[in-house]
Amino acid sequence: MNSNLQLDLHPDADSLSAFAEQALGVAEREQILAHMTRCSRCRQVIYLAQKAAQAEALEALSAMPSGRWYRSWRFAWVPAAALAAALALVFTFYPKHTAPAPEMAKAVPQSEQPALTPVPLEQASAGAALKPAPPVATNSAAAGAKFTALHQQPKELALETAPSTARPAAPGASAHPLEENNAARTHSTESVQGLAPQQATVQYKPEPSLTSVWQQQRMTGALSASAKTPQASQERMQATVDRAQAGRSVPAFAAVSHTAKQAAPAANFGIGAQEAKAGSVGSRGANPPKMPSGLAAISTATTQQRALAIDLAGALFLSEDAGQHWQPVARQWTGLAIKVRVQTGLSGAVFQLTNISGSTWVSADGKTWTVQ
Amino acid sequence: MAYLCCVGITPSQPVEESAVTGIDAVPESGQLPVPSSPLLKELWRESGAAVYGLEQQEFNRILESVGTAQNYGLEPGTAASRRQQAGFFRGLRLADLTLARACASGHEGAWEHFIAVYRQPLFRAAIAITGSETLGRELADQLYAELYGLSARDGVRRSPLDSYKGKGSLMGWLRTTLAQRHVDHHRRTRRELPLDNLAEGHEPPAADPKPGKLPAELLLLAKAVVETLEKIETVERFLLAAYYIDGRTLLEIAPVLHVHEATVSRKLHRLVDGIRKQIVKSLLGYGLNKRAVQEMLGADPRDLDLNLKKILQISLPDAFQEKAAL
Repeated sequence: MNSNLQLDLHPDADSLSAFAEQALGVAEREQILAHMTRCSRCRQVIYLAQKAAQAEALEALSAMPSGRWYRSWRFAWVPAAALAAALALVFTFYPKHTAPAPEMAKAVPQSEQPALTPVPLEQASAGAALKPAPPVATNSAAAGAKFTALHQQPKELALETAPSTARPAAPGASAHPLEENNAARTHSTESVQGLAPQQATVQYKPEPSLTSVWQQQRMTGALSASAKTPQASQERMQATVDRAQAGRSVPAFAAVSHTAKQAAPAANFGIGAQEAKAGSVGSRGANPPKMPSGLAAISTATTQQRALAIDLAGALFLSEDAGQHWQPVARQWTGLAIKVRVQTGLSGAVFQLTNISGSTWVSADGKTWTVQ
Repeated sequence: MAYLCCVGITPSQPVEESAVTGIDAVPESGQLPVPSSPLLKELWRESGAAVYGLEQQEFNRILESVGTAQNYGLEPGTAASRRQQAGFFRGLRLADLTLARACASGHEGAWEHFIAVYRQPLFRAAIAITGSETLGRELADQLYAELYGLSARDGVRRSPLDSYKGKGSLMGWLRTTLAQRHVDHHRRTRRELPLDNLAEGHEPPAADPKPGKLPAELLLLAKAVVETLEKIETVERFLLAAYYIDGRTLLEIAPVLHVHEATVSRKLHRLVDGIRKQIVKSLLGYGLNKRAVQEMLGADPRDLDLNLKKILQISLPDAFQEKAAL
């Protein structure tokens, strides 16, 4: 206390400073605190001194040299190591989960896929459980049940391996299997349409490699084996019986009819029930039918009686015995025909042909075509 | 003691306290150790007083003045033992103290060192205190001129550095001195009313009319409040004053008490609850029932003739006035 210099009998600056710095003894601190309780002036002095000290401390911190460059990174190795571990896990496990996913097959341009000779149906079905046959399957559809299994196996695989696509679809949602197929078809069609006719003819290789077909068959068998519902067993038995009745190898595309028949009404797409497309079939590992021209079919459509197919050269063929025999249809359209499908209306099923420029022709019997 | 045994001094032998404290032949309390004591020599050497040309004798005299002025950190009237004196001396900021005294005596080297070390921090502290660079530089320059000893009393140049006693750091002392100057200046100028305002019709505020007689219940409530506030401890009183009168935030109060702001918050809550309970208890002691007490606590505080600031500031004994009177 400096009573000479400070007439108000306040603690001197040294005592207040020592109080702020905790440098006083207990008794003297109590004394200062008791004074500050009564003296707003000394409280204000202390607050201001504290404020200046904090500003000085901040100034000192900002002026402090950062030291060696790596010292600021000395704690960065922890998140860096965690990030590296996470990346290692992702790169280790991600290919295992994504390699067999059918979406990858969709994404690959068909022009890059290797050509494949048709796999015999018996060979393709070896060790693989059949996909449930539809209760209303026709003979041709039942005979092609094996193809149905092959045709749908990527979808099942997607349901098993890609949880995001396995979500229950809302009514009208695009998660319907048929819509997936349509999407694949659209993609395939676009890829063909985007090319010149010669390029499309040369580069179009709709079938996957034999190895991939076998891998998919094995996986389909494993997946189907896990489906032990009574309905699945019944359908497998039905398909086996149908195959025995058929007694011969059936063109794979014929099975598309019943597959689409089951899916189309539910989806209410307005597209023909017996619609199929070899492009999408090929991309899924099925066997597109060979046309009399020796070329593979790129688009097929079947009804219960007739089947139409377009080969790689754009020629249209008609079969009235479930694909056993094909006869060429006279060209009544312009441009390169790339797609044929069945459109079901009130008047019955009507074939629709689309050329590369998008023009369409319709026919009731597959022989006579009129522009739409 | 174990060390003494190791060096050959047995408990049966009289142990010289100078062997422990370094102060030999220290007279009784209130007197400075003899200049030749090893402790004073060690302190003189550690303080760097020789750099500023401060001899041992002068250094001892400074220590004597500081020690006696503060009674070696003890209560007034308490005799300090040799150990307490030695502890007090060791607790001083001797380097800062010698620098301040050397500057006050006009030592050039000391001033060069002072300018090099404290000039810029002084400006920054002044700017932080005033909140304005212009005012801050003005305040710092004013203090700097005073420190240099431009003011004279009885023909002798006097420097505020003479009042520095080494209890806290010299920088802390400078900051506190700046804050004192700023607060005093603010308080002094705030009371001055420009004459123009009076000419424009700004009448000074009329004195409050004398409050009428309060109802008996409110008188009881006021009495209970006063009694309760008089009983609370110093730290709690400081908390109330800082928070409710000064309007300081928890963050500002915490560093003053060297506690966390959460601790300040908890203490405040506890304090307010305790005060309320004590008031209720006092009112019940006056013979009121609980319902009447609850109604009384719901009264408008403006109806009470209470000046809490006055109560908090006057109710305690003025220790510094007592100390100053000594």
